[in-house]
Amino acid sequence: MEGILAIWQRDVIKFFRDRPRILGSFAMPFMFLILFGSGMSGAMSSMMGGASPDSPLADFDFVQFMFPGIIGLTVFTTAIFSSLSVVQDKEFGYMKEILVSPISRVSIAIGKVLGGSTVAVIQGLMMLVFVPFIGVSISFLMILKLIPVMFLVAFTLSSIGLLIASTLKTSQGFQMVVQVLIFPMLFLSGAMFPLNGMPAWMNVLVKINPLTYSVDMFKKVILEPANMAPALREAMGLNLTIFHQPITFAGEIFVVAGLGVVFVVLATMKFSTMEA
Amino acid sequence: MDTIIEVKGLKKYYKGTEAVKGLDLSVHKGEIFGFLGPNGAGKSTTINMLSTIIKPSEGHAKINGFDNVKEKNKVRASIGLIFQASTLDEKLTANENLKLHCKFYGVKKSLREDRIQEVLEIVDLTDKRYKIVETFSGGMKRRLEIARGLLNYPKVLFLDEPTVGLDPQTRAHLWDYILKLKEKAGITIFLTTHSMEEAEICDRVAIMDHGELIALDTPDQLKSKVGGDIIHVSTEANQAAKALIEERYEAEVTEDGEGLSFRVENGSKLLIDFVKQFDIPIKSVNLRRPTLNDVFLQLAGREIREENVSTKTSGNRNLARRGR
Ligand SMILES: Nc1ncnc2c1ncn2[C@@H]1O[C@H](COP(=O)(O)OP(=O)(O)OP(=O)(O)O)[C@@H](O)[C@H]1O
Ligand SMILES: [Mg+2]
Repeated sequence: MEGILAIWQRDVIKFFRDRPRILGSFAMPFMFLILFGSGMSGAMSSMMGGASPDSPLADFDFVQFMFPGIIGLTVFTTAIFSSLSVVQDKEFGYMKEILVSPISRVSIAIGKVLGGSTVAVIQGLMMLVFVPFIGVSISFLMILKLIPVMFLVAFTLSSIGLLIASTLKTSQGFQMVVQVLIFPMLFLSGAMFPLNGMPAWMNVLVKINPLTYSVDMFKKVILEPANMAPALREAMGLNLTIFHQPITFAGEIFVVAGLGVVFVVLATMKFSTMEA
Repeated sequence: MDTIIEVKGLKKYYKGTEAVKGLDLSVHKGEIFGFLGPNGAGKSTTINMLSTIIKPSEGHAKINGFDNVKEKNKVRASIGLIFQASTLDEKLTANENLKLHCKFYGVKKSLREDRIQEVLEIVDLTDKRYKIVETFSGGMKRRLEIARGLLNYPKVLFLDEPTVGLDPQTRAHLWDYILKLKEKAGITIFLTTHSMEEAEICDRVAIMDHGELIALDTPDQLKSKVGGDIIHVSTEANQAAKALIEERYEAEVTEDGEGLSFRVENGSKLLIDFVKQFDIPIKSVNLRRPTLNDVFLQLAGREIREENVSTKTSGNRNLARRGR
């Protein structure tokens, strides 16, 4: 147990010590939110037909729409990339120090996943600094709800990352694989634009993409679709269905947690077979 | 004498290569046991098997009474391990590296502070405790690694080429620490090296080549087995000189970049005659006692490290004396 904690603690200490990384982590969200989001919002609104002030879609604000997606993007990428440290530890030798110690491989894997998840949650929370600039209102209660959701999502993504990291030997390899994986997942998750009227095959990809459910959870917490006009909700792509049934928040938790369990088990198994 | 490591028929195959071909040996409690051999001899592979990092293909070993395959965690808890390449986290401070190690090895909370102070003192790094390791010199990093290896009060400390890449002064210092450790803590030290001078300091040396032990004894015993003295001579015409020596003294002559060496009984007497009678002009000549390199040369038919031959002799003596 203390072993898990030690592994976790190391990742957290190193996160806070790496100032450039923390600052850099604002760059992507900033670009998406301010440059891409604000730049696109006019076009998006007119596409929505929201030009007329009394249409229910006049309320559509692309930047607001994107904000939960940006939190998602931050959490996903931080969590999955956190496992880069596993590959780097192999490259720089520290993995040997860990692997030869009497702590079990399972504890190491769990510690790593928890460390990555914690860091991802912290980064996700840091994105809330954008709140005052984009006109979403976020209550304290929302933040309290957001934290466990972020953690759950981060846990699943960290596990996927660890699974990849356990099979690869170089950081370049890891970065390549993760980038190739994460970008399509992001674009097909509804984080960047509403997923309406897509071709059927793409819709299938959307529905098997775990990020879809993760992003939707963030949207449900932050945008509170229950209080929206139905047409607006539809336009924002908030009526996610699975097998033609609306999926509930609890259902999404179940899906993401289930995937998390599967991946953490796979990752731990793979990690345990690693030679020092 | 008590035995702390007992190795029986230890083997390791990799695809195509047999890295270690059936090793039998025992290490006594409290001794410095050196593992000498050229690159690729199988030294690291052996250390890795003894310290449970890799699984032997055959055979087994007992370390501190525990089996290296069946009781991995017990073995790990009783050893300290310093690898050939650094395994510190350089982004963390010395203190953090040590604290983490205590946690990994389950050192009791109440003991940690004392232990950390103690090991830092041994390696003279007390004032660097809260500095980031990245800012340390190579020698300081090595010392920190050794300190870390001592935190769990290991019964055996495994060191894989502890001084490789260090300057002669740091090397000497490090050896002081290692010897101090042996005296103070009474721990057994098992180290690998391909440096003769380091092997000379050990209580016993095992010489390994191509995955096999070719000799195991104290450095003095090993050298006395070679016997006699070594004459090293450099002449105007080394090829002719070689033939001449072979004919006149019936000695086996080996060449290196600078000249020829051969072994004779009672060298100091013979040297005078040799110089007087030799027909080919001599550039330089010297006489020395056999070193472990000569032992290896005799047993394996080649030098341990070709490029190192000529510069080695002087350094040898100095370091070897420190150990006595
Ligand atoms: N993981 C591996 N896969 C295949 N062959 C290996 C592996 N590790 C070591 N070997 C081979 O086993 C042999 C012994 O290697 P080892 O690292 O034990 O040598 P060494 O005595 O430590 O050498 P050095 O002085 O260079 O450190 C070498 O021929 C090496 O190529
Ligand atoms: Mg080696």
